[in-house]
Amino acid sequence: MTGQEPPLGKHGDNGPTPPDSGAGMTAVTYLIAGMLVWGGIGWLVDHYVGTKGVFAGIGAVLGIGLGVYLIVRRLGA
Amino acid sequence: MVIAQSAVLAAEFPPSVEDFYLPSILPWGAENNYWFTKITVLVWVAVAAIIVYFLASYRKPQLVPTKKQWLAESIYGFVRNNIAVDMIGPRGVAFAPYLTTLFMFILVNNFFGIVPFVQISPNSHIAFPAILAVISYVMFIYVGVRHHGFVKYFKHALIPPAPWFILPLLIPIEFFSNFLVRPFSLAVRLFANMFAGHMLLLVFTLGGFAMISANVALAPVSVLSWVLTIALTFLEFLVICLQAYVFTVLTASYVQGALADEH
Repeated sequence: MTGQEPPLGKHGDNGPTPPDSGAGMTAVTYLIAGMLVWGGIGWLVDHYVGTKGVFAGIGAVLGIGLGVYLIVRRLGA
Repeated sequence: MVIAQSAVLAAEFPPSVEDFYLPSILPWGAENNYWFTKITVLVWVAVAAIIVYFLASYRKPQLVPTKKQWLAESIYGFVRNNIAVDMIGPRGVAFAPYLTTLFMFILVNNFFGIVPFVQISPNSHIAFPAILAVISYVMFIYVGVRHHGFVKYFKHALIPPAPWFILPLLIPIEFFSNFLVRPFSLAVRLFANMFAGHMLLLVFTLGGFAMISANVALAPVSVLSWVLTIALTFLEFLVICLQAYVFTVLTASYVQGALADEH
């Protein structure tokens, strides 16, 4: 098999991104990362302000929304 | 004797993290000394086996390959064509040697998890997956910086195409998912799969001994438990191959992301 040439020209040098280059994993990571980052920041705000989880909740929802937005911008057509 | 032995084994039930810390070999039997254990031996055996095998098979390459050469070429060809080139594109050929080494190292080390009488994988200690993840992490950042230049690479990796007012909200997420989660998830995925696999086999094997020594009437259940151990060993084989593949594919995917041109 090494004797064969690798399948060149399949994507071309400046062709489009190869199909399925871990896009699924990236999407899941963005969702979870969004929730964790802004949920975490919200939790810290809660901690210092003295509220009992309002900001963590808002942060988590906001984070999920931002995660979806990031997926659309980065991975969408 | 069988009863005594099973009583000894049953005393170790349920298995714990302690079961992953095997006795020291050098110095022999030293307490709390983990510098040279079975794990160390296995890693060296894996490295030696891979080096010797590939050197031996490529020593006198034939036009019509021997069986040994054919297998070695198939492994390299698989990683090069189906992982490196498929994920990264034509530039991926340059990464095929590293990816093949990575794939083989993880595969052989994982495989120790189900070899009879060896039955523990070095990758069930997080140190080994962690170092592999760090190597891949440093590599994809280095490759990206070399390809784009320092500022442009981080700009590309951290700043998504979005209006300026939303960027402060998005950049922390990008940083977190691209530079913190990636090495962590690579290491933990491999480690946890190998750890859980070893634990699972321990539970079913030792559980059988625990039941039979608690009450001889439970002997049929013990036998069932051991039969399931064998079945789970085959499941482990699947996990072993899959995790080696996933680790390699994700490394290739990160390299692809680092090399990607802006669009």
